[in-house]
Amino acid sequence: MRRSPTSHLAGALATLFLATFLGVPLVIILARSLAPGADEPFGAGFLAALTDPYYLGRVGFTLAQALLSTVLTVALGFPTALLLARYRFRGKRALTAAFTVPFVMPTVVAGIGFLALVGPRGVLGVDLRNTLALVLLAHVFYNFAVVARMVSGFLEGVAPRLEGAAATLGATPWRVMLRVTLPLAAPATLAAALLVFLFCFTSFGVVLILAPAPTFATLEVEVYRLSARLLDLDAAAALAVLQLALLLVVGFVYTRLQERMAVSVAPGDATRRPRGPERLLIVGVLIVTGALVLGPLGALVVRSLGAPNGAWPSARNYASLLAPASTVGFTGLWNALRNSLLFAGASATLALTVGFLFSHAIVRGKWRWLDQASLLPLVVSPVTLAFGYLLTYPLLIGSPWGVPIAHALLAFPFVTRTLLPAYRSQPPVLAAAAATLGAGPIRTLWRVDLPLLRPAFLTAAAFAFAVSLGEFGATLLLVRPEFATLPVAIFDRLGRPGAANYGSALALAVVLMALTAIVMLLLQRRGRSEF
Amino acid sequence: MSLRLEGVAKRYGSVVAVDGVSLELPPATTLALLGPSGCGKSTLLRLIAGLEAPDAGTVALDGVDLAATPPAKRRFGMVFQDYALFPYLDVAGNVAFGLVEARVPAQRRAARVADLLELVGLAGFERRKVDELSGGQRQRVALARALAPEPRLLLLDEPLSNLDAKLREALKFELRGILAGLPTGAVYVTHDQGEAFTVADRVALMREGRIVQVGEGEELIARPANAWAARFLGHDNVFEGAEARRLPLGTDAALLRADLTRLVDLQAGAIAATVTGAVREGLEWRLSLAVPAWGVTVAWRGFERELLPEPPAPGRRYGLQVPAAAWQALEGDA
Repeated sequence: MRRSPTSHLAGALATLFLATFLGVPLVIILARSLAPGADEPFGAGFLAALTDPYYLGRVGFTLAQALLSTVLTVALGFPTALLLARYRFRGKRALTAAFTVPFVMPTVVAGIGFLALVGPRGVLGVDLRNTLALVLLAHVFYNFAVVARMVSGFLEGVAPRLEGAAATLGATPWRVMLRVTLPLAAPATLAAALLVFLFCFTSFGVVLILAPAPTFATLEVEVYRLSARLLDLDAAAALAVLQLALLLVVGFVYTRLQERMAVSVAPGDATRRPRGPERLLIVGVLIVTGALVLGPLGALVVRSLGAPNGAWPSARNYASLLAPASTVGFTGLWNALRNSLLFAGASATLALTVGFLFSHAIVRGKWRWLDQASLLPLVVSPVTLAFGYLLTYPLLIGSPWGVPIAHALLAFPFVTRTLLPAYRSQPPVLAAAAATLGAGPIRTLWRVDLPLLRPAFLTAAAFAFAVSLGEFGATLLLVRPEFATLPVAIFDRLGRPGAANYGSALALAVVLMALTAIVMLLLQRRGRSEF
Repeated sequence: MSLRLEGVAKRYGSVVAVDGVSLELPPATTLALLGPSGCGKSTLLRLIAGLEAPDAGTVALDGVDLAATPPAKRRFGMVFQDYALFPYLDVAGNVAFGLVEARVPAQRRAARVADLLELVGLAGFERRKVDELSGGQRQRVALARALAPEPRLLLLDEPLSNLDAKLREALKFELRGILAGLPTGAVYVTHDQGEAFTVADRVALMREGRIVQVGEGEELIARPANAWAARFLGHDNVFEGAEARRLPLGTDAALLRADLTRLVDLQAGAIAATVTGAVREGLEWRLSLAVPAWGVTVAWRGFERELLPEPPAPGRRYGLQVPAAAWQALEGDA
């Protein structure tokens, strides 16, 4: 196949974008961490941060909580995945859909949901704020779906058949589990665990909202504190580099595992109906996951309907959103909504454009190394990225463009993981057919590649939109008050004293939840992406 | 419009796919490229289409070298093995694809689409979705699409290989009629000799990237270039080495055209042959005959009428009538 000349232009443009808004900021952070000032020796700032017992404590805590979260998530998600892969039962589709809810819910919404459930004045009457338990619980809530869906999706097509084969070879159910199911599930489970570890390691919004005490600060929170509050940019750079290095190792292992998993799965449904005690097992899982998903979100809705003076139900909180702002610097509902939608639209457009150029270069032009780079933004945490912009492009901070660019980059791995497989699965013969019918490279792009990618584009757009709507860390660092998005406006209200502010934060969180749910519904209807 | 290939070669890494092919296609004739899978015939077709660039040699149309002409500018229509229909377009959209590229106005486009659908027997199918079509119908749409922009040459890459046997038989003859009625030449790639002989005026036999023999079907059957060609074209009785030297011709390689022989009762002028195996293959019988006079076993196919009064069984003896024309000296297998 002749390589299409458009692919090289596309590759160059995608590379330019990634280099400018990802590569350069990271290099600047690295440079800053190694040589903070002219009068200091090379690497001094880095050494200082690394030998400070407080920062070392942060590294230790970040690792420990991520590890604990991952273990808990896998412990709960793995059995669920087995049940999903093996049985067919009523409500299964609804259950898998429900799993995805927390994964796409903005951290701020989930955070406030947990506050409404087990925070001060929570529905359950216990206050777990500022405990490790609450942080872990929120992480499990968040990532449970990653494990359940990745592992069950991998096992579904193949496990029941192979397990049947093993049974005919004389293996008892326990031996089947040991010799067939576990070895089959191991790579997928490990990959899911690594992904969960990545997410928990860079946990930001959850920690900031549920456990604001300094003892619970993750590296991500610490970088934010140092750069936005304490303005100690040297220490922030050192911690950011440290975090990035750790993430790169995990991310590298993850991509290697993913390559191995790509040799999967015969399509087809080999699930069966559950019998006898198996039914109890499934009901148990439904109750636990249902409570985990519905608990915080339900509590959020319930508490949002309670007036500051204790009356329930009441629309006071919602009414307060519509009232003219009483405090200076407060972003009203309509402003925040408009900002959120505009940013989401702009970042989705940008992410899709770059994502398409990127995929085009890889699939039509064989730009191999770009393929390797597509997961890079996944290991770059939002706060680190925003911090890089702060150091590299101070002008971006004053403009409305910093936020959509950052959001586009954060959505980028999701977008490419959706577009790339769709593009790859396009039979190259269609482009060849177009060529023999007189279509040059650009016309082929327009009349063959793009129409074939339409469904993938819709899915990717919904992903990018949802990411931007909920993004918190980078926005908090980059945004100016007049551009505040819904999550930032919610966090702002949460940070101010008074039951009225708390109430309006709850109401605003419900609005954001509803908005995300709408985008999600559109997403559910379309195909799935490769993760 | 005559196509001329000279010394065309293409390799992928260490694999030589096409190894110095020279060919000429006179105007308005159909040439079949016939060979086993992996012989490089599809690659050669893609080289002609311009979808691949040759490492050496030239592809020229009417004396004009096409090296610098991208596929989109060659105006060669191509029918692909798996049809390559655009799934997001309906039948009319597919057929009109090339017309849009040629900037044919919409009205003339619709008329041309209707004409072509009529030609391929799908009149009125304009608004059908392509995934609702059967394999044979898809094939017809693919053909109509390739013909729509009035190509200077038509290329067909195993167009019938994805269809079931019955449909393939029927479409083969229809395709022959359509191709014969075209003002343009066509190159037809296939691995099935029946298809090649039915559809094409001339057949080029290809093996391991080279052309072994070119000629009309009759010529190829009657005088295969070598032992390999004879076997590939379906001759059962190709003898080489010591076996061949025991035969009447006494050459190093020989072909016995069993299709020219007759089985009769033992009599003068017929060679004695004993049945060592008999298998019924549908309406035909396939026999193995030991011929002591030559010291070889001959494979023989035929209908039951020649084998009466009772079905053949091992041990039964016949006389084999062999006209002189049934013997062919061959070049040994290269």
